[in-house]
Amino acid sequence: MKIRASKAERLADEELMPRIGEKDPDAFEVFYDRHGGVAFSLAYRIVGERGAAEDVVQEAFISIWRSGARYDRARGSVRSWMLGIVRNRAIDFLRSKAGRAPKLDFDDDAVLEHRPSAELTDAEALRRETTHELRGALGELPGEQSKVIELAYFGGFSHSEIAKMLDVPLGTVKGRMRLGLEKIRGELAGGLA
Amino acid sequence: MNETEHDRRRDDLAAYLLGALEPGEAAELERHVAGCAECEEELERLRPAVQVLPETVERVEASPALRGRLMEQVRSEAAGSQAAPASSQPSRWRFGLRPAAGLAALALVVAAIGGYAIRDSGSGGGGPKTTTVVTGHSPGVTAEMVRAGETGTLRLANLHQLPAGKVLQAWVQRGKQVVSAKALFVPNSDGTATATIDGMKGVSTVMVTAEPRGGSVQPTSAPIVSVVIPN
Repeated sequence: MKIRASKAERLADEELMPRIGEKDPDAFEVFYDRHGGVAFSLAYRIVGERGAAEDVVQEAFISIWRSGARYDRARGSVRSWMLGIVRNRAIDFLRSKAGRAPKLDFDDDAVLEHRPSAELTDAEALRRETTHELRGALGELPGEQSKVIELAYFGGFSHSEIAKMLDVPLGTVKGRMRLGLEKIRGELAGGLA
Repeated sequence: MNETEHDRRRDDLAAYLLGALEPGEAAELERHVAGCAECEEELERLRPAVQVLPETVERVEASPALRGRLMEQVRSEAAGSQAAPASSQPSRWRFGLRPAAGLAALALVVAAIGGYAIRDSGSGGGGPKTTTVVTGHSPGVTAEMVRAGETGTLRLANLHQLPAGKVLQAWVQRGKQVVSAKALFVPNSDGTATATIDGMKGVSTVMVTAEPRGGSVQPTSAPIVSVVIPN
C-alpha cells in the first residue's frame, strides 16, 4: 500500500526504508528531500565538480532506491549508511578519473558497519550538533592532523599514499589520524555533556 | 595473539575508519577486531568522529534538475515494477483500473525492434486494438508499451550501457510535432529500462534517443527505438 507524501514526511528514516524497499516513490521523495542536500554537499566536496557530484548522488540514490530493502536498522543509522554510499561512489569517481585503481570495496553493504544498535543514539545525537560546531571540531585540529584526515576521507588516499605525499613515515600518518580522531571524539563528547 | 601484533592492529584502527587501509590490510584488521574486544571497543568509540565528517562540509545546493531526474527515474521504475508481473496478473490490474473500464482503455503493444512488425490481435467486442509498427536502429533491442488511458509505460530490454554523460530520453510525436515526453532514464545493469509517458492523447509515435545528461530540447541522435501507437 502506498503512503502519501504528507504521511511519509512524518516517518523516521528507519520507517521510510521499508517503504522504499516496497518501491514507494513518495517515501523515496521524502528521503531525498531530507538527505539530498548533505549528500550533494559531500559529493561536491570530494569530486569538486557540480556535474560529477550530481552523477554521484544520482547513482547513490538510485542504488538506495533499488536496494533499500537491504538496509538493516540494527547496523547503523540510515543517514550514515547513505553518506557512506555517497562517499564510496565519489571516491570511486575520483580514483577512476585519476587513473588510480579503485581501492575501496564498493559493495554498498560494506557501509553497513557492524556495531551495536545502542551506538546509534550516540551517533544520532552527535549528528544533531550544528554544522558550525562540527566544522569547528575539525578546524581546531592541528593542521598536520586535519590534513591526513581530509586526504584520507575526502581524498580517498591510503595511509601509505599519504605518507609518500607528505614525505613522512607511515607510522607518523597513522599516529596523526588516531590523534585527530581522538580530538574530534573528545570535542563531540564535550558538546554532548 | 602477541602484544606487538595487537599494538600494530590498534594503530590501524583510525586509518581503517577513514577508509585509508588497503583492502588486504582492512580484511586483516577486521579479522583481528573480531577476536579482540579491546580493539572492537576502541573502534566503536572512535567511529562517531568519522561519522560526523560529512556533516562538516560546506553546504552546496544541488540543482532542482537533479531532484527532477531522480524522481522521474524512480517513478518510472515504480510504475514498471507494478507492471512487471504480467504473466501472473491481467494487464488491466497493473494500473489499478476497474475491470470494465480498464479493458476498454488498455492497449498492449508488443514491439519487435530491428525491422518491422505488425500485430493485430483483433478487437472484437470493443476490446483493445493492438496493432503497432515498430522500427529501430539498435538490433536486438526489444520494447513493450502498455497504455492505460492517457499514460503509457514503455519497457525496453537488451539495451547497451550508455557512454558516460548520456541518458535515454523519450519523445512523443503528435501530428508533425515531436516534443520531449519529459522522461529521462538510464538502462539498468541488466539492459532493461522503463519510462512512463504521460499525455498519450493524440500521440502517433513514441521514440527514444540517447541524449546528453540533463536531456535535450530536441532529439540530437537517431532513435534507438520508435513505437507507432495505434489510433
